[in-house]
Amino acid sequence: MQKFVDLHKRNLLSGLLILVFVWSLFSVNWGPDLFHSGGKHTILQMVKSFFQPDLSPEILQLAVTSAWRTLAYAVTGMTLAILLAVVLGVLASGILYNGKQRIWVKSSLRGLLGFMRAIHELVWAWLFVAAVGLSPFAAIFAIAIPYGGILGRIFADMLNDVKPEPIQALQSNGASRLQLLCYGYFPLAAADMISYTMYRFECAIRSSAIMSFVGLGGLGYQIHLSLDDLKYHEVWTFIFFLIGLVILVDLWSRFLRKRLVS
Amino acid sequence: MNAQVEHETKTTRRRPGFIAFSFLLAVTLIAASWIYILFVEEASLFALFSEKNLEHTREFLFSMMGIGVEEPAFFSKESWMNALRLTYETLVMSILAIGFSVIGMVLTVIPASANYADGTLMLAKKWYSRLVYGVIRILYVFSRAVPELIWAMLIIFIFKPGILPGAVALALHNFGILGKLCAEVIEDLDMRPIRSLASSGAGKTQILIYGIIPMVMPKFITYILYRWEVIIRTTIVVGFVGAGGLGQQFKLSMSWFHYTEVTLLLISYFILVVLSDFISEMLRKAVQ
Amino acid sequence: MSPTPVFELKNISKYYGEVSSLSSLSFRIDRGEVVALIGPSGAGKTTLLNILSAMLPPDDGTFFIDGKPVSSLTSRRQRARKLGIIRQQFDLVGPLPVVHNVLAGRLGEWSLFKSLLSYLFLQDKELAMHALHRVGLKDKIYEKTAHLSGGEQQRVALARLLVQKPEVILADEPVSSLDPARAEDIIGMLVRLVKEENQTLIASLHSVDLARKYFTRIIALRDGQIFFDLPVDQVTSQQLSDLYKIMEMKEDAEVC
Ligand SMILES: Nc1ncnc2c1ncn2[C@@H]1O[C@H](COP(=O)(O)OP(=O)(O)O)[C@@H](O)[C@H]1O
Ligand SMILES: [Mg+2]
Repeated sequence: MQKFVDLHKRNLLSGLLILVFVWSLFSVNWGPDLFHSGGKHTILQMVKSFFQPDLSPEILQLAVTSAWRTLAYAVTGMTLAILLAVVLGVLASGILYNGKQRIWVKSSLRGLLGFMRAIHELVWAWLFVAAVGLSPFAAIFAIAIPYGGILGRIFADMLNDVKPEPIQALQSNGASRLQLLCYGYFPLAAADMISYTMYRFECAIRSSAIMSFVGLGGLGYQIHLSLDDLKYHEVWTFIFFLIGLVILVDLWSRFLRKRLVS
Repeated sequence: MNAQVEHETKTTRRRPGFIAFSFLLAVTLIAASWIYILFVEEASLFALFSEKNLEHTREFLFSMMGIGVEEPAFFSKESWMNALRLTYETLVMSILAIGFSVIGMVLTVIPASANYADGTLMLAKKWYSRLVYGVIRILYVFSRAVPELIWAMLIIFIFKPGILPGAVALALHNFGILGKLCAEVIEDLDMRPIRSLASSGAGKTQILIYGIIPMVMPKFITYILYRWEVIIRTTIVVGFVGAGGLGQQFKLSMSWFHYTEVTLLLISYFILVVLSDFISEMLRKAVQ
Repeated sequence: MSPTPVFELKNISKYYGEVSSLSSLSFRIDRGEVVALIGPSGAGKTTLLNILSAMLPPDDGTFFIDGKPVSSLTSRRQRARKLGIIRQQFDLVGPLPVVHNVLAGRLGEWSLFKSLLSYLFLQDKELAMHALHRVGLKDKIYEKTAHLSGGEQQRVALARLLVQKPEVILADEPVSSLDPARAEDIIGMLVRLVKEENQTLIASLHSVDLARKYFTRIIALRDGQIFFDLPVDQVTSQQLSDLYKIMEMKEDAEVC
């Protein structure tokens, strides 16, 4: 028996995970009640209109302006996120200070960063809208906080992983801690930090698109409106624009990352 | 010799070129976006901090904390039980979601790897493998470019509200992400053990079982667990459109202004996220 | 008449574009011979071994295995019975337990059902135990292969060959030049096992010392041609230094 366990440690674990999934299947009430009565018809319509997206000039124009708005929210949100992440990341990496409080400051800041990213951006958005009303800033802050949390934690790790030799060399030249940061840590970690930010930028586009759910404009908002009117042809036009935007950003970020890494 | 030097300077000259272009593009984008937000949309940061708004914000925060509320939800056993049930429902939804996306990924990932398509993985090639590769890769891009919430908005037209449509929506988005990540694992596979198995007389299925699967499994499981963490975070969002779980209740409580209930739901959500991160990390260590 | 040789090559050539990797090689290797293939890098050792293992078709010349053309080895089972290949330890599936890596030598013999079953309930386990015993790794049977040291992994690869029991073993630089003590250990074990099993061995090596100590015949390649092909006791130091000296000069010339 022991031998069997030795031989199959990972398989047993996979088996356990599969069992958990199978068990979760039983919590669904399988049956005809799962679908709307017109569900089949709806699927057919959606599939049909997938091949005939609405390409009328008005819709295209609307799609372009909405795409721009989605992009603008993502970019402004990311700008704030980067600022947040640099400040919090530097503090959380613990490279600026020494002494007793260090561990305490480090772990509490890491906890804060973890909290910022634990809550989904749309939840943040909703809370902001509830608190301060409908304003583009609700979307911007809602993106800035969780993305600031993710980037901040990664930045802190990257700053901690910087090669120690160049830093020690600067130190022996008598550089202050702030100088160490500007002439040592940042230049050494910059390529990695920018790569990772670009990688996240693609996700920010998607996050920005769903901000519409709490009433903020953009591609998601248009998709929402068209769905309410059952205009599937328009829905697909907007979705295709969203996909196009995501692909463009993905391509840009992939090329840039390749250049930065090599 | 000369040619080589020339070649080198060319490449080094071209590299900063793209980086400089990217930098310019980034600056332009940032400037244009802020100008658009501040001047075209006329969003004002000062308006946010107006007297009226601050008052409103304070009220909102107080009512979330239950100050001045008659029966705060987080002091009621019934509300806690309800939140617990919803948390459990959300957990089940996330497991269904990751399960569906893994099934989709497993069924497609091998033909979606470039090294299978060009015949180096299985040491055999079919005329249609390039085509299948292209089709699946397009599906992956399509699936992951559309956010979960938008998938959910479409799905909810077909399914009745409940955890299944939520799970399907989450799975539709994660299918593409997992597929892409796992196809890359297969593409980076060390081919030497595979060739060696073949030279010991192993056939296709045997190579799959004793070579490819054991080598990719640890990485696959790691990615799957990472995605599960993300899914847990996102379950609440698909709930907003009626796909069940904590999110659906969150939306209802928000629209009825039951802010203490919102707080309770957020606490449950937060605990679930932290707990799943912990479990996932434990499992990831176990497969290493 | 002498018995049919295991390999018989007549005027074998292989070209990569304009350059010829092997030009007009001819030799025969008899059953039970233990042959070292030496020569500087780029001499064509890998190319030759790939041709012998029927993985690479020659561009010219004729090539017989057991007096028959290669095309007679049709099924992968026949091939696995005839030819075994060993390289450095990179050939093992790291995440699998040692025993599966050893039993992989049986995959050619097993039916699909048996190999599926063995994933759960080990088949031919005594065979694996015995092989591991012979390479001195009996107590590592359930260990994850990637956790073993480099030398132990090479011994696992030897155990796999013991289970596969091919008539001929082709080894392309089976040991790295970085760790001479371990290299000697593995080559010594490989040659001993080959002799015990009455197999034929052809191995390419970096180390002339190992070739002289353990092998019975040395084929030296240079520039895709046979520089010499002699029983080990007839190889002179002069020949060996000639083999490498010329190449060193060529390599020096190629740097600029
Ligand atoms: N796939 C290939 N394509 C082009 N040239 C090759 C290829 N494989 C080997 N060669 C060339 O053939 C010659 C012999 O190579 P190889 O057999 O690997 O030598 P060795 O194993 O002795 O170092 C070298 O000049 C090498 O550049
Ligand atoms: Mg070689």
